Amino acid sequence: MHKNRSALTPSLIAIVGFLTVCPVVMLVLGSFSQGLGAFGTFTTAKYVQAYTDPAFAEILVNTAIFIAGSAVVATLLALFLAYLNTRTNIPGKSLFGIISLIPMMVPHILFAASWVLLLNPSNGMLNLVLRQLGWEGAALSIYTLTGMILVEGLLDMPIAYLVIAPAMSAFDVALEESSRVSGAANLRTLTRITLPVLRPAILAAATLVVVRSLASFAVPSVIGMPGRIYVLATHIYRVVATGYAADYGLAAAVGMSALAASIILIFLYRRLTSEGEKYVTISSRGYRPAVIDLKGARYPLFGIVAVLSFVLIVLPVLVLIYTSLVPYSMVPSARAFAMMSARHWTAVLNDPVSLLSLKNSLILGVGGATLGICLSFFVSYVIVKVRTRAAGLLESLSFLSFSFPGIVVGIGFMWFFVQTPLYATIWALLIGYIATYLPYGIRPLTSAFVQVHGHLEESSRVSGAGPLTTMRRIVLPLLVPGIVSGWILMATMFVRELSLSVVLSRPGTEVLAVQILRFSEDGLWGRLSALGIIMIFISTGLVAAATWIGKTFTKVEK
Amino acid sequence: MKKLTICAVLILFSAVTVFAAGPDAALADKAKAEGKVTFYANITSVEPILADFTKRSGVKAEYTRLSTTKFIATILTEHAAGKLTADVLQAPMPVLELLKEKGVLASYTSPASSGYPKWANTDGKIQSFGIEYVALIYNRELVKPADVPKKYEDLTDPKWKGKIVMADPSSHATTISWLVGLKENVIKSDAEWMKFLKGLAANRPMFVASFGPTPAPIESGEKLIGISMPKYIITKAPAPLSWAQVSQPMLGTPRGMAIAAGAPHPNAARLFVDYWLAKDSMKILAEKVGEYVLAPGVYPPIAGIDKAKVIPIRELSDDEIKKWGGEFKKIFETAK
Repeated sequence: MHKNRSALTPSLIAIVGFLTVCPVVMLVLGSFSQGLGAFGTFTTAKYVQAYTDPAFAEILVNTAIFIAGSAVVATLLALFLAYLNTRTNIPGKSLFGIISLIPMMVPHILFAASWVLLLNPSNGMLNLVLRQLGWEGAALSIYTLTGMILVEGLLDMPIAYLVIAPAMSAFDVALEESSRVSGAANLRTLTRITLPVLRPAILAAATLVVVRSLASFAVPSVIGMPGRIYVLATHIYRVVATGYAADYGLAAAVGMSALAASIILIFLYRRLTSEGEKYVTISSRGYRPAVIDLKGARYPLFGIVAVLSFVLIVLPVLVLIYTSLVPYSMVPSARAFAMMSARHWTAVLNDPVSLLSLKNSLILGVGGATLGICLSFFVSYVIVKVRTRAAGLLESLSFLSFSFPGIVVGIGFMWFFVQTPLYATIWALLIGYIATYLPYGIRPLTSAFVQVHGHLEESSRVSGAGPLTTMRRIVLPLLVPGIVSGWILMATMFVRELSLSVVLSRPGTEVLAVQILRFSEDGLWGRLSALGIIMIFISTGLVAAATWIGKTFTKVEK
Repeated sequence: MKKLTICAVLILFSAVTVFAAGPDAALADKAKAEGKVTFYANITSVEPILADFTKRSGVKAEYTRLSTTKFIATILTEHAAGKLTADVLQAPMPVLELLKEKGVLASYTSPASSGYPKWANTDGKIQSFGIEYVALIYNRELVKPADVPKKYEDLTDPKWKGKIVMADPSSHATTISWLVGLKENVIKSDAEWMKFLKGLAANRPMFVASFGPTPAPIESGEKLIGISMPKYIITKAPAPLSWAQVSQPMLGTPRGMAIAAGAPHPNAARLFVDYWLAKDSMKILAEKVGEYVLAPGVYPPIAGIDKAKVIPIRELSDDEIKKWGGEFKKIFETAK
């Protein structure tokens, strides 16, 4: 493989660089240009204006708490669920597996709006229930920093789950067995052996969530704004939205701080996982994932997971279904149930633009994720197995567009694509999606790659197999869980993608999220919910298909 | 009003003839030869109007909907790259004024606009056809008739504390313009206006990003009243929304339209503008979407709107909007 490696790294840097650097370069140009476009007389005025805003310090503090909190919530929940789902004999595994992924399939504004209906201090459904139960004046409020962290953490939990779960399932059980033989209990083995070995996956998950929550707009706007809690993304929105001539150069200048934060994070991540050998768990001997018997804790843990899943995930989805059936936003009552009808569903299913957007999103989801995974596969290979300075560059490049707050990066792509013949075509969406969400493919794959020892490839090559055969027969099958995770992350992301779509979609290339945004701009929550539920169904279908294909693959190869 | 009605009848008549077979049958033919018209806007539910246009004229109307915050960025980007595909543009007046400055707009005065108020077309390029009117919208099941505000200042009554929803007054341009419009057109002195602002701020209204999310909390009863748009009474029916028929006039930002300079389909663009401004299509806009239109005698089917006085707000420049946004931020964020 060494001969190919030398050509592989530079060509990947060229491809990934082209994909992610172009829009960012346009944003950098815009941030240093006078006027509203990407090109203008040089000026640093936008940076001065962006960073001398007296409100900026408070916004940074809020942002730091928000992203750190979301990363902790998402990663801990994901660890807990992934461990139980992949390593233990907890009942109802496959159900929990799907439930853990649902927040990723829901349009984020809808999920956030559901939580507002559940937990607003005036007449949130949960508060009403608490008042019925005798807690007078119960007024738990979602419009707080804690509320924002809870909802954002939940929404990003599937990302963490999909990075951690494959690493968990590729765990070499011999390590744990040695620990137990030496007399350590299950819990001690978990904290002393299992978690430390999973460090790359856990850190990768947390990194992704931090970067994603930094760019997230739905939760900060739907929950933060009413609570008057502003973070970087809503600050940028206020910068852009005040007045009619939105200055995206200025917004990009503010966004550069998010980019800087992400680059530092990637650097830290590489430092913390620099001794790759330490985390190899699948070497030549005795690899078989084993199931831990929970014994007496089986049903209590099942209860905990069931309650958590119900309150955190199923309940907001039920609210969506309810909202799609009642004529307008109303608190549940006998009258509300009497007024239920399928009118929003009929409206959506008879709307030609909604149907076209369904089709486009499905094509982009399946096609984009498949292409994206192919690219991610090679990039991850270089990042993990080559580990040169150039590989580090490649890893940072892959995060470039991903790190920018959504409202800004879309404009970067528009400024770039308008210079090409791809502008206003579905190809612009496809390329933009892959370029922006490359880390969704790369993260799960790198954490899977990390665990495969070089000895395996060497043995295969010694036995006379060429590099391609080794890749196909040895490496690929071991990576299947990572590939499936990455594909699911990308496909479901593309199905609900908004930031780029809202700028790049045109008549004929409408996609689901843009249609959803229109319904939300018009305040049509019923139709919005109906389309949101359709989106959940599509994504569930994609997840089920990917999981099934993944399973048959590993079976055949065993 | 009578005079207007007579005018309306005359215009309707002439518009219809123009459209059908009048002296401009040539325009219709040329438009048909061009085959297509592209409409850039951000306006709700205009699909029936576009479909009707296509059916009548044989010219395919395509709607590119751009979010308000992306509108100017997108059009200027496409214009600079020579890739602006728009034939007709529709937006709030200040947006069109800015595009005019950048040379994006062509001159055209539609014959169908002859009954419109004078102020609605002053430069031969931009034609206003409606006003995005703003009012106090309340939940009629939860607010007793006696409690409904009779003037805007009633919103400062402490009984509304924690019960109001509005778009963020430090960044939402239309809300900023509306508050400034009150100062310039409605409330007598600056001192009283400031008292109104401080009273409103003291009632701790809940802020949302724009008008879109304002009606939902009122419908559900999370809040009781809001600074919002009467058109939601139509689009969100049967939600229990009503507007407070205050003694003062209503205010709003004019909505305008114009043909793009270098439009790929110039004749189709003209035909489309003529059609859009004619009474039939304005009626669809008023009745289906609840828009306040300037076509004489056409009103949205909302009780009391035909009697109400609706004033267009002076166009505020972006600098003014930012300045006032900053002022409102101070007033609203420091209020206890």
